[in-house]
Amino acid sequence: MKIGRDDKTPPEIATAEATAAGDPTAALHGRLLNVSRMATIGEMAAGIAHELNQPLTAISNYASACERLLARPGADLADVREALQQIRAQTTRAANTIRQLRALTEGEQAPRARVDISDLVAELNDLLRTNAHGVQLSLDLAPELPSVTVDTGQVQHVILNFVRNSLEAFVTRPTANPCIEIRTRLTAAQEVELAVTDNGPGLADQARERLFHPFFSTKLRGTGLGLAISSSIARAHGGSVGYRPNPGGGACFFILLPAQTPE
Amino acid sequence: MQPPAATVFVVDDDEGVRNSLRLLLKSVGIASRTMASAKEFLDAYKPNQPGCLVLDVRMPGMSGIELQQQLNLRGAVIPVIFITGHGDIPMAVEAMQQGAFDFLQKPFRDQDLIDRTQRALVRDSRSRAALAQRARILERLESLTPREREVMGLMIRGMPNKVMAAELGVSQRTVEIHRARVMEKSDAASLAQLVRMVIDVESRAEG
Repeated sequence: MKIGRDDKTPPEIATAEATAAGDPTAALHGRLLNVSRMATIGEMAAGIAHELNQPLTAISNYASACERLLARPGADLADVREALQQIRAQTTRAANTIRQLRALTEGEQAPRARVDISDLVAELNDLLRTNAHGVQLSLDLAPELPSVTVDTGQVQHVILNFVRNSLEAFVTRPTANPCIEIRTRLTAAQEVELAVTDNGPGLADQARERLFHPFFSTKLRGTGLGLAISSSIARAHGGSVGYRPNPGGGACFFILLPAQTPE
Repeated sequence: MQPPAATVFVVDDDEGVRNSLRLLLKSVGIASRTMASAKEFLDAYKPNQPGCLVLDVRMPGMSGIELQQQLNLRGAVIPVIFITGHGDIPMAVEAMQQGAFDFLQKPFRDQDLIDRTQRALVRDSRSRAALAQRARILERLESLTPREREVMGLMIRGMPNKVMAAELGVSQRTVEIHRARVMEKSDAASLAQLVRMVIDVESRAEG
C-alpha cells in the first residue's frame, strides 16, 4: 500500500471553516457534510457499542474463569493459559475496532492522501460486517489499481452511504438471500470505480433522475442528503457518482475518481 | 434407564463470547456445549436432554427470539436464559413475555450468570420430574375402563354412591366395585389425591 501526503490541496475541498467567510454554498456544503457524517456515525455507533461489548464480555468471562480455576486445588494450568491467550486476542480485537472508529472520525480535517481505493474498503470491512445483520457482504477488489488522491474519510463516507442505502432497501423490501457486493476496477476511461451493488428492489425510473438532488429521498425517514453529499464529495475530487440498475435486479451505486499517473 | 446428564447449551455467534462462557461454566464444574447458531442448536436438540439454554438474543440467521418461538412450538421445557446487548431491552421484555427463564445484559457479572444457570438447571430438573410424574398418572388413568372413567368423573364431582347408582342405572354394589377399581388402578390414597391427579393431568392437557 502506498500512502503519501499531498500538500497541494485544491481549493474546492477546503474545510467548512476555511470557506465559511467566502462562498456560502461551500459553507453550507461543509456543514451538511458534517451533519451527514455524524448521522452515519450515530447509526454505526450502536454497532460499534456491540462490537466493543463482545470482547469485553469475553475478557471478563475469561478473567473470572481464571480466578475460579486457580482457586481450586490442583488447578489445570492449561485452561488458565488458554484463557490468558484469549484475553490478549480479545483485547487486540477491541483495539482494532477503536482504531477503525478513530480513522473514520479523524478523516474530518485530514489532508488528501494518495491511496489504493481497495485499501479504503478493506479498512471498513469489519465495520460494514458488524452492521450487515444477515446481509451477505462480498468484496471484489481489483489488485494493483492506480492510486487515487483523496480525503480518505470523505471517500469512506461515500462508501458507507452507498452500503447504508442498500441495507435500508433490504429492510423496506425484504429479499431472499440479501447480498451486497463492493467492487473496485479501472474503467476504460482510466478512472478508478468503486461500485456497491445489491440484489434488493432497485429504484423506480422516476426516482433515478432526481436521485442526487438534495432533499430528495425514496426512504421513509431519509433526509435526502446522503447521495447529494456523496455527489459533492466526488465532484470535489474531480470525479462523479452515478446509479445504474443491476442487470440481475437491484441497485448499483458507483463513484468514479480520477486515477493518478504512476510516480 | 439413566437419563442423560444435564448440559448447559451456549448458543452465541461470537466465538470469543461462547468459548469464554464455556470456560467460565467449566471453572465452577458445569458442563456445557457451545453452538454458533440457532440452527445448529435445533439440529442437535433432543427434548429428553436435560439442561438449560444460554442464548444470545441477537444473531444472524435465526435470532434468539425466533429460536425460543421454535422451542415453544415444539413444547420444549428447557429453560432459556437470554443474553442481551446494550439497548436490547425491548427484545428482553419480549423474551420474558414468551416464557424465558431470565435474561442478562452484556457485560454481566460472572456470578450472576453462574447463579442463574444453576437456578435454571434446578428448574429444568423439577419440571422434568413433574412431567414424568404426570406421565405416570396419565398411564394409570388410561388403564381405567370407559365405565370406570365415567364413575371417576362422578366421584371427583363428589356424587354420593346412591345418586351415582341411579344416574348410571346400576346397583349401589356395582358402583362400589367400580369405585374400588378406580382407587386401586389410580393408586390414589384418598379421593382428594385422586382429584389432584385429575387436575394435574388436565392442566397439562390444556397447557
